[in-house]
Amino acid sequence: MLTGFLLGCILFSIGGIAAIFIKGKAKGIIFLLFGFAAQIFILPSSFNILLNGGRYENIITFSEPIGIASLRLDSLAALFAIIISVGSLLASIYSIEYLKHYDEKKYSFSSFYFFFGLLISSMLLVVVVQNSILFLIVWELMSVSSFFLVIFESEKEDVRKAGIYYLIAMQIGASFLIAAFAWIGSITGSYDFNSFKTILDSQGSISIILFILFFIGFGTKAGFVPFHTWLPKAHPAAPSGVSAIMSGIMLKTGIYGILRIILLCGIPERHLAYGVFIISLITAITGILNAISQKDIKKLLAYSSIENIGIIGMGMGMGMLGLSYNLALVAWLGFLAALLHTINHFTFKSILFYGAGIVYQKTGTRNIEKLGGLIKFMPITAVIFLIGAMAISGMPLLNGFISEFALYLGMAKSFSYDSASLNIMMIVGFSGLALVGVMAILGFTKLFGITFLGLPREEFLNKPSEASKLFLLPMIICAGIIFIIGIFPSTVIQLILRAVSQFTQFNSSAEFNSVVTIYSSLAKAISIFVAILIFVFTARYFILRKKSVRVFKTWDCGYQSVNSRIQYTGSSFSLPFLELVEAVVPQKTFVVTEKEIFPFEAKLKTSQHDFMERIIVQPLLKYIRSFLNLFAWIQSGKMQQYILYGLIFLVLIIIYVIGVM
Amino acid sequence: MPLIIQICFLLIAPFLYQGIINRVKALWAGKKGAPLLQPLYDFIRLLNKGEVISKTTSFIFQIAPAFNIASIIFAFLLIPVPFFGSTISFEGDFVLFAYILGLSKYLTILAALDTGSCFEGMGASREITFSTIVEPAFFILIGTLALLTGQASFASIFSLLNSSAGYTVLIEILFSLALFIMIITEGSRVPVDDPNTHLELTMIHEVMILDNSGPDLAFILYSAGMKMVLFSVLAANLLIPQNIQPAIAILLLIGIAFLTSVIIGIIESLMARARMSHVPQFIFIMTALSLIAFAVVIFFLRGRM
Repeated sequence: MLTGFLLGCILFSIGGIAAIFIKGKAKGIIFLLFGFAAQIFILPSSFNILLNGGRYENIITFSEPIGIASLRLDSLAALFAIIISVGSLLASIYSIEYLKHYDEKKYSFSSFYFFFGLLISSMLLVVVVQNSILFLIVWELMSVSSFFLVIFESEKEDVRKAGIYYLIAMQIGASFLIAAFAWIGSITGSYDFNSFKTILDSQGSISIILFILFFIGFGTKAGFVPFHTWLPKAHPAAPSGVSAIMSGIMLKTGIYGILRIILLCGIPERHLAYGVFIISLITAITGILNAISQKDIKKLLAYSSIENIGIIGMGMGMGMLGLSYNLALVAWLGFLAALLHTINHFTFKSILFYGAGIVYQKTGTRNIEKLGGLIKFMPITAVIFLIGAMAISGMPLLNGFISEFALYLGMAKSFSYDSASLNIMMIVGFSGLALVGVMAILGFTKLFGITFLGLPREEFLNKPSEASKLFLLPMIICAGIIFIIGIFPSTVIQLILRAVSQFTQFNSSAEFNSVVTIYSSLAKAISIFVAILIFVFTARYFILRKKSVRVFKTWDCGYQSVNSRIQYTGSSFSLPFLELVEAVVPQKTFVVTEKEIFPFEAKLKTSQHDFMERIIVQPLLKYIRSFLNLFAWIQSGKMQQYILYGLIFLVLIIIYVIGVM
Repeated sequence: MPLIIQICFLLIAPFLYQGIINRVKALWAGKKGAPLLQPLYDFIRLLNKGEVISKTTSFIFQIAPAFNIASIIFAFLLIPVPFFGSTISFEGDFVLFAYILGLSKYLTILAALDTGSCFEGMGASREITFSTIVEPAFFILIGTLALLTGQASFASIFSLLNSSAGYTVLIEILFSLALFIMIITEGSRVPVDDPNTHLELTMIHEVMILDNSGPDLAFILYSAGMKMVLFSVLAANLLIPQNIQPAIAILLLIGIAFLTSVIIGIIESLMARARMSHVPQFIFIMTALSLIAFAVVIFFLRGRM
């Protein structure tokens, strides 16, 4: 079975290679065909494992230094494989249409599909490979191939800069992983993940330091604060299909990595559990605070990805706390929240990035202050975008609520445990999550309301039109998943609980059943709400049936010459809130006036700063740079000096060889 | 049984509540005042009217009021009636309660932005800004109650609350005050917002619904009244002991709702609206009260810090 799965993984890459040899529009079609074929191999085996438990294992022998590499598909890996596989297929459908916008002579479509395939294959392999060296290889392959996708529009300078920044961030993350894997490998003498269990499971400082190294390594990929700074740079630079895949899926490989390490840890150290929970809460709050202040749609979405990674992390932290305090139900709910939110974030973030791409292509701008009223030009896109925007804010009826509910419930359940520190932590998490939720409402009503509602703030050069069917298809599929999970959570939850049960050693069916019961009563309550909604709408229909409905202009307070520039902008919408939190999200305002007696023009420029980036990342980089400058003399740029290095090296080698002989 | 009581409340309470506030204000000013059921007459009058819809708006403007009223009704069904218990109850129902109200807020804000009016954008922006302070405080409140009782649903929290130790009285009082601030904020009353103001620039909630008319406006007015009743009943649940006669419980429930409306009327007669920049400070009192109550609970319940 695993061989078929592996074949499926490789098929994406083969599709990418095949696309090189085909000309014109057929490139995308052939890539898509291979993508479909891959589903046939990947989905059945993954679903089989999720439904029936167990795992597939394959051992492949490579030459040194990899040696014997084991590949395992367990329920955790299967869950991620399904997300990656389905999500990538949707993104490739979208990308076919998205690339039509680009000039084929100027941009290399071949390299796009090649790296796209490579990225998908490597992501799929990441979740099954359980040999540290092979893992690092596919991990790096993933980073590098996504780098080439980010710099697709490489003629733009900011895109190249963002790409380089991204690549460096990934390498910093990878270096932590390499250190961790090398260290643990040197202790156990093995590269197999299963052998790490003995070290990570044991008490003591080594397991704690190793966990921190792994967390930083994987956390950089996932975007935990303070390793999040690459996200708002790389996401806007990449084409939208790629942004969707990076945000919706690739970040989750970082989450997968952390979950895998937690799995190997057994009962986690209590301090680590608190650490993960606190960092995640800070990540969530930082992410959404910065999202609110953004004007660029994709930058806003990138920051909101950071927020959602924080929510997933809170789930993981709660699960770890549940394990370490031996609170079975809390642990179940924590890991359930983490895994479910991973799926949910993929669905709504894909919709939002796809929608952002459509808006960008149709209007030529990503600045929401220049947009408005798009719902009239592209109603279907707008409605699906709204579904995504409401789901990401955790609104009931949609899937975001279902995963956040698990998180809230887990925290509420932990209150019955008698420990002041746990209680205080959980009340902080409880109200913190509520704060994140309401800030998400602010951020996404701003994003949707300013972009799609009201009147256009600036005249569009070309009148935007409804998106084509190929654009809408992946969005509609995601919206369908959103509603299915949102209204009928029980079925999906039973599937995910199989993966959750891996984490909780006490494999009791009592918790399994109580979670399912709670969710079925939640589903019942939601169906009552739907019934009330239907009742109210029918009543409204009958009340209004014979009444006159007149269409007139908006109330303008008696002011006659209204123009669309008078509308509230995104910045003014978020200003009252940003003034409250000015200490954390400082805004800089520059007023530029002409230095004349009777100035004609004045300009106002505002910019926001990422607080965490400024107080943590930038000073850190400064210190590192000044430290490394001490060694700058080595790289002097003088040819003579380099020749001297070669000479010294040769002499040392000769001495060494002579010494050995 | 709880359902019947709740339906009675849903039918009449929001109108009476607003009617009492208006009557108290009128009496305080030395006037006779409108009939107590004037809000109901207004409601019926609006239902019989047609609508005027702005040409800028989309479908969101028209679905928002219906979502609003449905959310409020559903949220009310989630709150237990003292002694009788609740219609819908499950573990974590308070999360659904808060998020359903969030849903109605979400659509109200979008409907306001939908009109493209600068006034309504302003109101939407203020409404959500104040919510960012209210929501976390509400969750501290609920979390503290869950911590105190070890339960995770409204019904079981309230049924265990009064059988706990003596210091719960202190917590109940603190939380009732916090909930009262929530009534004022969510119900858009003085000093947060003035429902009688005539200047769009100073409004919060009223300005968001400038363009609504006819049955949709009736829905919105009903929801606004019902929202205050909702939190009054929540506060009543905190204060009413469980082990009393059902008739007394119902009387106390009505009495507490009546009392809150009278107090709101008195406050509105005595105070002016606070300056917009001072409103957050007022709402932060709710956060402070909740935190104090939490500290008390931690101190008594888990004295071994």
